[in-house]
Amino acid sequence: MRTRIWIAILGAGLLLTAAPVWAHHAFAAEFDVNKPLILKGTVTKMEWINPHAWIHIDVKDADGKVTSWMIEAGAPNGLLRRGFTKASLLPGTDIVVEGWQAKDGSFRANGSNITLPDGKKLFVGSQGTGAPVDGK
Amino acid sequence: MDKRIFALSSFVVLAAALPLAAQTPALKPASNGKSVAVAKTPWGDPDLQGTWTSDDTLGVPMERDKKYGDRLYLTEDELKDREKRVEQSKQRIENPSSDNHSPAKAQLDAGAAATAPARGVDSAPVPGQFGEYARRASKQTSQIVEPADGRLPPLTAEGQKKQEAARALRGKAPSTWTDWSIYDRCISRGVAGSILPVVYGNGLEIVQTPGYVAIRYEMVHDTRIIPTDGRAHLPSSVRSYMGDPVGHWEGNTLVVETTNFNGALGIGPNGGGIPGSTDMKLTERFTRVADNTVNYELTVDDPKTYTAPWKIAFPITHEPGYQIFEYACHEGNNAMRNMITGTLADEAKAAAAKKN
Repeated sequence: MRTRIWIAILGAGLLLTAAPVWAHHAFAAEFDVNKPLILKGTVTKMEWINPHAWIHIDVKDADGKVTSWMIEAGAPNGLLRRGFTKASLLPGTDIVVEGWQAKDGSFRANGSNITLPDGKKLFVGSQGTGAPVDGK
Repeated sequence: MDKRIFALSSFVVLAAALPLAAQTPALKPASNGKSVAVAKTPWGDPDLQGTWTSDDTLGVPMERDKKYGDRLYLTEDELKDREKRVEQSKQRIENPSSDNHSPAKAQLDAGAAATAPARGVDSAPVPGQFGEYARRASKQTSQIVEPADGRLPPLTAEGQKKQEAARALRGKAPSTWTDWSIYDRCISRGVAGSILPVVYGNGLEIVQTPGYVAIRYEMVHDTRIIPTDGRAHLPSSVRSYMGDPVGHWEGNTLVVETTNFNGALGIGPNGGGIPGSTDMKLTERFTRVADNTVNYELTVDDPKTYTAPWKIAFPITHEPGYQIFEYACHEGNNAMRNMITGTLADEAKAAAAKKN
């Protein structure tokens, strides 16, 4: 139901838009919906930049090999208003990230959910530009 | 004696404002909104200063759904529905732990491709926690208040051409920086795009000095310096994304007329919509009607694009503790490069498929 609302909103928005449709954080342009993943890793740094913050994590596989991933999170100004600050996700924090991998196969993913060590969940997924939040 | 003149002039100002009130939607001030219709700066201009946000108009579409006809306001029942949804948005954003969406995990559990969540072009399946929400449900059925049906007037032939050109670009995979909007390129959102509410970044700050009003917008950090002496506009050879604003006071209302646009941006969220022509003239009115509310009106006069002028109106509010954050863009922006590599990956995949 919710996804239908989102599609309807975006459909309405597209009728008005004269600019190219690929907004700066267009999910489908960057990520592959057929490559869902769950990563468990340790935060090494967080980039507070626009249009999206990026969380860098080191993911250790079963053999102990470490791969560095970057996870696309939400917009800094919005995160700050939610009380999510630079102190919220410090290097060394173990997190679980759910999301979708980049289309070009690189170690980059769109973060949908992040689960913190205390079990608290953060939803940092991308949102469409201009889409009203309350579904109308 | 002075008090009576003051009271009389206030009355005259308010009486003069009434015809406007008939056209502009009556706003619903917050519970602590005291009427300060005559609050003045130390040098005597109406005081519009402060940090304001258009968050409360989130959820109100720019164009009215045809089912409402000429009705600008929701009925009591419709408003109750909207209030419920506004509360849901707030909970979803502020208390997401109650929301157990795990679409990626669900997809993995079911077998990846089988349950790919449906989505529009640029949304993710789970709304992010970083969006904003209306604090009070708006009573309006649309942001557009004129024409009477709350919808854009018919386009001119030139307007239609611009609209078709935009539609032709739809779905084009981005491969170079000009495939993105002026907003995404961190240049400007334009006058309307800087105030029409979007998913976040809807704050603006008004600062006044004798003879000037400055408006600083949060997202993409445009600032307009508006002289209030009604001077002539810049020569027509000088054009820009935000245009040349000139203001004057009409009673307690700041009227700003802006011309000299460069034709790149439209009247829509983030400067989308059909690009205005270089002849476009925007007239805005800012009227403080409560200590926490300014009524905002925007009249679009662009006879090369639209067959009639049209008007948007909604209140902007002051919220305790709300501050403008810096919005620096293009500092290490990864998005453009990432999307271009996405296009290249798709092209490589398509080329490989052709070979086989």
